[in-house]
Amino acid sequence: METLDIELPRMALLYGLCLLPWLLLRLIGLRMSRDIGISILRMSIQLALVGIYLKMLFDLNHPWLNGLWILVMLLVADLSILRRAGLKARYFVLATFMAIASSILFSTAYLVILVIQPTHFYDARYIVPLAGMILGNCLQGNVIALERFYSALRKNENEYATFLMLGATRWEAVRPYFRDAVKAAINPTIAGMATMGLVSLPGMMTGQILGGSEPWLAVKYQIAIMICIFTSTTIACIINLKLSLNIAFNAFDVLRDEVIDKP
Amino acid sequence: MSPIIRFDRVSVIVHEKTILSDISFTLFSGEKAVLCGKSGSGKSSILRTLLGLHPVKSGTVYFQEKPLTPSSVQTVRSCTAYIGQEPMLGAESVREALLLPFQFKTHRDHRPTEAQLIDVLQRLHLPADILRQESSRISGGEKQRIALARGLLLGKKLYLLDEVTSALDAESKQAVFDVFSDPHLTVLSVAHDPEWLERCGIVFELEAGRLTQVTRNGNT
Repeated sequence: METLDIELPRMALLYGLCLLPWLLLRLIGLRMSRDIGISILRMSIQLALVGIYLKMLFDLNHPWLNGLWILVMLLVADLSILRRAGLKARYFVLATFMAIASSILFSTAYLVILVIQPTHFYDARYIVPLAGMILGNCLQGNVIALERFYSALRKNENEYATFLMLGATRWEAVRPYFRDAVKAAINPTIAGMATMGLVSLPGMMTGQILGGSEPWLAVKYQIAIMICIFTSTTIACIINLKLSLNIAFNAFDVLRDEVIDKP
Repeated sequence: MSPIIRFDRVSVIVHEKTILSDISFTLFSGEKAVLCGKSGSGKSSILRTLLGLHPVKSGTVYFQEKPLTPSSVQTVRSCTAYIGQEPMLGAESVREALLLPFQFKTHRDHRPTEAQLIDVLQRLHLPADILRQESSRISGGEKQRIALARGLLLGKKLYLLDEVTSALDAESKQAVFDVFSDPHLTVLSVAHDPEWLERCGIVFELEAGRLTQVTRNGNT
């Protein structure tokens, strides 16, 4: 079962749909033409480039090239996490990279090698989209974990100092904020799993069904990806926060001001 | 006898601002001292520096004649109770707050009995049923006494008190004075209260981060 192609004239028709929200926004006095235009243009160019690159990646299907693509995704995610969490990249870039790389590689390898078992484990058709999806969700979780943890520490500076004064080690003193941050990071994934299929049809499943897969197969892949997202987000957040503890504090267990990117 | 605290020409800079400049003083075990001066003169900074919360720019802080270093700061903190104006209790209920430090590895084996809890509360003129109250619902003065009780339960010998008597009524204040009449306890405090100043043998006067005058038992 082939997916129906959308020819160019019909793509133009599709872009035409944007005129409706654009008009409505104008009517209520929101003049966002520039933002909307730039966003649609960026989306189109970026996706076109990814399309070209993925086509090449799939045609060549070379293990090193696939690995390189995953490495690039990890590096971009690493810098994006730190920027959005308000931490200075030059201090945490390695720690965050190690956290997301280890968790993504582990869960993708687990899924591809042990569960899906394609002829070649490095098959671009499997590892590139799966690693990408897991990483995308893992990124959100890590932003929440780091942002929550360091803002809670700064907000509760006196409470943290009190724990230290009462004999807590650095780890014991940060543990309440650590737990809250990890919980906040994984809660959206847990809530997402609980309502999956009821509130909306998940993206990957929809994609597979459109691509011609049997609904049952699509369901199994959706479950697989959700479990891997949950696993890798949890692992990455815990490793990331743990590694950051060695960087963000001075030898007297006081949070270093210079590691936080002040807005 | 060697001093318990010794500041040797200590200067502290925080956010590029000098908050302590060339501070030198000593405090011996059992002594009761008070730091006086206008707001912003560096009184609380001295307490925080001793606890390793401010980085020392120059000079050395000694605790029991050992320089304050990342490896010795744990000893300082484990011997010291710091009680601020509005102490953080760090737990939902008063009972949990009193038992909080005993969750940490270093104190885990010294959890107090119920009788010890009630005894220490009585010493500070606090009723036993305060144990059941929520930490957020007790007054500032009660919080200070709970923090003090926590120090006593931990067997701390050095008390750093930041404006502790300001929120207390006359009776509670007397209870605090009684606790610190113990010659084994050393006190370094920040206070404006004349009654408290009267009871402290040593008065350190500070001005703009500098120690300007030291009075020991009435002699300057």
